[in-house]
Amino acid sequence: MAEDMSIENYLAQGGMLSNPANVPPRYRAALLKLMATFVDSELAGAAGFADIINEGPGIKARIAAAKIVLEKSDSADRVLAIMGEFGADTERYADHHPWTARLQRDADIGQQRSDHDMRLAVFNYPLEGWADAVVMNLLMGRAVAVQLAEFSLISYQPLAEVFRAIAPIEARHAELAEEGLERLVEENAMEGLQASVEYWWPRVAASFGTEDSEKFEGLKSLGLRHTPNGALKTRWQAEAAATLAKFGLTPGT
Amino acid sequence: MARFHQLKVTDVRKTIRDAVVISLKPTNGAVSEFDFTQGQYLTFRRDFDGEELRRSYSICAGKDDGILQVGIKRVEGGAFSTWANTELQPGDTLDAMPPMGSFFTPLDATAEKHYLGFAGGSGVTPVLSILKTTLAAEPKASFTLVYANKGVNTIMFREELEDLKNLYMGRFNVIHILESDAQEIDLFTGLVTQEKCAQLFEHWIDIKSVDTAFICGPEPMMLGIASALRTAGLQDTQIKFELFASAQPGRAKRRESAADAASTGNQATAAITLDGSTQTVQMGKDMTLLDAALENAMDAPYACKAGVCSTCRCKVLEGEVEMVANHALEDYEVEKGYVLSCQAFPVTDKVVVDYDQ
Repeated sequence: MAEDMSIENYLAQGGMLSNPANVPPRYRAALLKLMATFVDSELAGAAGFADIINEGPGIKARIAAAKIVLEKSDSADRVLAIMGEFGADTERYADHHPWTARLQRDADIGQQRSDHDMRLAVFNYPLEGWADAVVMNLLMGRAVAVQLAEFSLISYQPLAEVFRAIAPIEARHAELAEEGLERLVEENAMEGLQASVEYWWPRVAASFGTEDSEKFEGLKSLGLRHTPNGALKTRWQAEAAATLAKFGLTPGT
Repeated sequence: MARFHQLKVTDVRKTIRDAVVISLKPTNGAVSEFDFTQGQYLTFRRDFDGEELRRSYSICAGKDDGILQVGIKRVEGGAFSTWANTELQPGDTLDAMPPMGSFFTPLDATAEKHYLGFAGGSGVTPVLSILKTTLAAEPKASFTLVYANKGVNTIMFREELEDLKNLYMGRFNVIHILESDAQEIDLFTGLVTQEKCAQLFEHWIDIKSVDTAFICGPEPMMLGIASALRTAGLQDTQIKFELFASAQPGRAKRRESAADAASTGNQATAAITLDGSTQTVQMGKDMTLLDAALENAMDAPYACKAGVCSTCRCKVLEGEVEMVANHALEDYEVEKGYVLSCQAFPVTDKVVVDYDQ
């Protein structure tokens, strides 16, 4: 049997890897970075949302918010477990950073990460009350759905499987947000909703990143990416705008 | 983080000329840690001439066999596999991490599924574990194994597979494909390629009825089979891969010792290689290698910046650095020269590091 194929060649032709024993160094680095970004975003998202639970109007809303916090923590845990197989100290990792820390509402950091963790920039902004949290969760929930569809194709099969398992759970979070928004609209609590959309729209949009094409091609040849960020962002914009339109809201810029 | 435990070797049995099946028993109360799932692997470590080697080998036992066994085929020039095949004896102990890996699907006693397994050479090890477990746990399941080997005398577990065929008559079928030994049916001779698979799907395997396929073998074979499966209509979610590349590195080279450890002043020159290109930068010795790379617009990988996640790992090829915190790398990695660049400060006036190794 011809056994002299390089791992890079194997990956470029659509091969899948299944354990840390034979991932090339740059693959390992890109994969760990991707996992860290997901874990940090989930942990920061859950931590930020935890503070909002008590502001939910009624028990059902609070249950929905608590469920989101629980499940985002669980999603983080599942991906962190894979990082553990690469050597990460998983217990220390979860506790090494104050995940509730946020910047000022008017901080403008674009796509920059903080110095201390890999959460997407959007998770560095504070939520302002229940309605604002619902809007953020709706927009980000739709973005996560698009991103998870992309990452479910990743060439590291154990991670692809975890993402495929997480995808419907995260999709449900966006649905819960939509139900929350529906309720706010029914109760004529429209005030501030459009402002929240305008605040979160560009920040969620920035979470798709703008990597240059050379870098994208590099990740693509390793099977770590398939669709360019710009295309993913366009897909999200269309889907999120359609959802907003149902409630008489318009996308931000 | 997973820790190593001691396993006692209770039996070493040859299956073919250059492969052994090793039976293992956890000691010191670690039995529950080694409660494995079919298709998982164990990672062993052993010192060879003062250098630690780690190797992963798949479990070949079924989940309900009541025994922990791995199959180890001797690889040309492989220190660990040669040692296991020639020197390992019952009564010896081996250091191993608890079972890892996700080369399996959940079992369901009521399911009526058709599984298809492809194995090349010693790649049969995890597939054997899966098929034994599945046929026992799912009484209505059927399993077809396509098993590629060079010739008749290199078929691992040949007799065991025959026994299983008799035990699970009508539910388990093996198709042996031999590279160099002629068989009655021409189709069963040669390599398992995409074309060969397509032909098998025409008359020998009812591909439409297949729920899940497991593939474990060398890279080109896995690619060919996966393409054939996709062409036949299987989704990626139905195809499970396990690759233990021939690329498990041989003997690791020892790090060059820092000959000129003499250092002056507070400045260092760092040559940093990333994505195949090298930049030489001036940096203060109070700065981490990661920050020096980032400051010079290099896209170095990092995540936690707290020495926890190991994303920023790089290798020191020349010179010496000091790592102030390390919660991720293990001793053997550090010995090979790996450092967490977010925690590493230059000690010598010149350091050469590489993120690509």
